[in-house]
Amino acid sequence: MKAGLPQNRNSRLMLSGKLPCELLQNHYQVSISRHEQTALTFWDTFEWGMWFGGYLLYSSENIYHLCKLKDGWLGDEICSEVTDILPRFKEDFKTGRMQKILTGILGIRGLATVFEGTLNQLQLEIRNDYGKIICRLDCSTISSKRAGNEKPPYSCCRVTPLMGYEAESGNIIKLLARYQTDESQEGPLELLFKQMGRKPCRYTLRPVFGLDFKTPAREATGKIVRSILSIALSNLPGLLSDIDTEFLHDYRICIRKIRSLLALIKGVYPDGAVSDIRTQLGEMARSTNRLRDLDVYLLARGEYLEMLPPQLRPALYSMFDEVAAERKLEVKNLVLDIQSAAYQNTIEGIESFFSETEMHGPSLSADIPVGQLVFRQMYRRYKKICRMARAIDAYTADEMLHQLRIECKKLRYLMEFFRELIDDTDIVAMQKILRSLQEILGEFNDTSVQQKTILGYFNSKRDDIDIALGIGGLVSILYYRRQQSRRRIVKVLNSFCGKGMSVVFKRNFKQKKLNPKV
Amino acid sequence: MKIISSYSIKGGVGKTALAVNLAFAFHETGRRTLLLDLDPQGAAAFYFRVGNAKKLNMDDSRTIAADLRKNIRESDFPGLDIIPSNLAYRHFDVILNGMSKSRKQLRKVLDEFRSDYDTILMDCPPNITLLSENVFRASDAIMVPVIPTVLSQRTLEQLFSFFRDEELSCDMLHPFFSMAQKINKMHREIIEELPQAYPGFLKTVIPFSVNVEKMGIRRMPLLAYSNNCEAALAYRSLCNEIISITKSDPHS
Ligand SMILES: Nc1ncnc2c1ncn2[C@@H]1O[C@H](COP(=O)(O)OP(=O)(O)OP(=O)(O)O)[C@@H](O)[C@H]1O
Ligand SMILES: [Mg+2]
Repeated sequence: MKAGLPQNRNSRLMLSGKLPCELLQNHYQVSISRHEQTALTFWDTFEWGMWFGGYLLYSSENIYHLCKLKDGWLGDEICSEVTDILPRFKEDFKTGRMQKILTGILGIRGLATVFEGTLNQLQLEIRNDYGKIICRLDCSTISSKRAGNEKPPYSCCRVTPLMGYEAESGNIIKLLARYQTDESQEGPLELLFKQMGRKPCRYTLRPVFGLDFKTPAREATGKIVRSILSIALSNLPGLLSDIDTEFLHDYRICIRKIRSLLALIKGVYPDGAVSDIRTQLGEMARSTNRLRDLDVYLLARGEYLEMLPPQLRPALYSMFDEVAAERKLEVKNLVLDIQSAAYQNTIEGIESFFSETEMHGPSLSADIPVGQLVFRQMYRRYKKICRMARAIDAYTADEMLHQLRIECKKLRYLMEFFRELIDDTDIVAMQKILRSLQEILGEFNDTSVQQKTILGYFNSKRDDIDIALGIGGLVSILYYRRQQSRRRIVKVLNSFCGKGMSVVFKRNFKQKKLNPKV
Repeated sequence: MKIISSYSIKGGVGKTALAVNLAFAFHETGRRTLLLDLDPQGAAAFYFRVGNAKKLNMDDSRTIAADLRKNIRESDFPGLDIIPSNLAYRHFDVILNGMSKSRKQLRKVLDEFRSDYDTILMDCPPNITLLSENVFRASDAIMVPVIPTVLSQRTLEQLFSFFRDEELSCDMLHPFFSMAQKINKMHREIIEELPQAYPGFLKTVIPFSVNVEKMGIRRMPLLAYSNNCEAALAYRSLCNEIISITKSDPHS
């Protein structure tokens, strides 16, 4: 069945409610030339990548249609693809145009349903007194599954005048315009999505907290924790239904960020409670470590296989199969974990500890300006990293680089939390170099972990000569890469600790001794 | 783009019926088709429920084309457009005349539509004027309905001799029988003999049919409401003949 929407050159009107057919019939001869009703499902990522990219992806039976998003409604169709599987990732789409656009939008994110309903398409021919068609009218409505048979809130009409009948058709447009919706804030599709409890919203791991230098430290901490915790929790549904690997990744980042923040703000809350929460968060993150490692492998599957000559690749298929099987188990365990009463209790405990209304006893740093507290921390971390960097060369032990990476991460989190307090141009420069330092340290870390795991896998398959060959190939490439990373680390560290950057860090974070009289 | 006209010196022989149904048949093959109604009576446009054209404002071939373009009406059948007639066409002659006495002026005008249409069909009034001479020189084929009667033979011969006198190519002329009645002995005999004298005579015979007459009531081409009757099939077959004679390309 053809379910593509009409695409014309002409006037579109958004009417509230149904098309006023009787009204048209009072003035014109109206006949139906097409009437189709199809189930349709809209798809998007957790980040609403399609929506904010200006696209809509919907399926109707096994046809996927990619459209422009226009005035909050279906715009022109760009392409469509018939598929027999339930596509979730960009690679599940096979045709050129579709794949190209989706690759740009989805990245490694997966698609999930955002709306299910019925698309109703009606085409009318409108004739004048001579019986001549003067225009065609395409009208589409969408009603949501959940709202049942309720009347659709909107009709999208396109009037296509026949050439030579533009003026006559103008009267029809005028007639319909009386039923046009007010320019409300919410677009028509958005309103439908809302019926399903969904609303397109921007997603970020780096929200604005609304802080300044003078915000009392405890108030600032509460704001940051609440905000990041809610991002962590917003990832849980996607994590539970295992839509893509980013849910876990972001969840872990949020948990680690909170944990790291709590370590850096000693004295803001009474001792004891905070360290318990840190322990709980640490446990939460740790219990997902293995799953994340497995995700990283599976994501690198294509890249790994490509490193090897084709004849060596099949030997590694079984390795990835084993990883995939183990991953399945890990997901199952994690789901049980998250759904457990213990987990719920922990989360509720943390939430209420940091809630705006919770009263805590006094503590040393609760009321000092947060800037004063954290700038000192940032400068201290920077200097610590520089100290560690001085001892690093091409022969430094892996463990040392690992420590360095952790220090960098702490500094980066701090700067992220409090970037509202820092000079706009300086923060860009500082974050840029910090990011490249972290990237390269991360790459180094990944290659060492991967090498270790692959060798571990090999230990259990020693008698398989094909696997031995494949693994040998991989390990040597990983080793080579690791050595390359080392050289680059030294280089980036030099500029991170060099005169230029150290001036910037000092300027921003080194505080003058407080006036002893105050 | 091929330009085909429906022409006869005689009135009431089925020129308009041909133009309307041939236009429809061309559109059915996927060719973008324009029907240009040059007869001030406006019968062709009437069959498509289209009213008169606005006044044309003619100076040279470019502005004529632009004015014609403003008068294009999309028919109810996507891909088939119509330029309805206008009483001012009576003065078309005078205007073309004033322009340089050129008999090729109409061709120039229609060339402006080359990128928009694959076929242009012209329905002409029954006379020989400067306009009809322009039509002759603009056309790739001229289709001439002939009712199988003795009188029609005479008018057909007049047309051919006019062409010879004016040094127009007789190869363009394609007579065919219109409103033929099989039960009529005289019709049968003329259908048998007449084509032998004219190499361009088309094979298809359009039968006399009440279905065709009903076009006036239905106000649409015969092919649109009586898809499979003998007359409808004959119009399609005529269309195929003229497609192969003019080597008309399908729309890409
Ligand atoms: N094949 C046919 N069978 C029956 N009637 C026909 C047929 N062809 C045309 N007619 C009818 O004959 C009449 C004249 O036909 P038509 O208008 O096509 O001729 P014409 O040559 O265009 O006339 P005019 O010279 O007035 O423009 C019309 O009423 C038409 O319906
Ligand atoms: Mg006529």
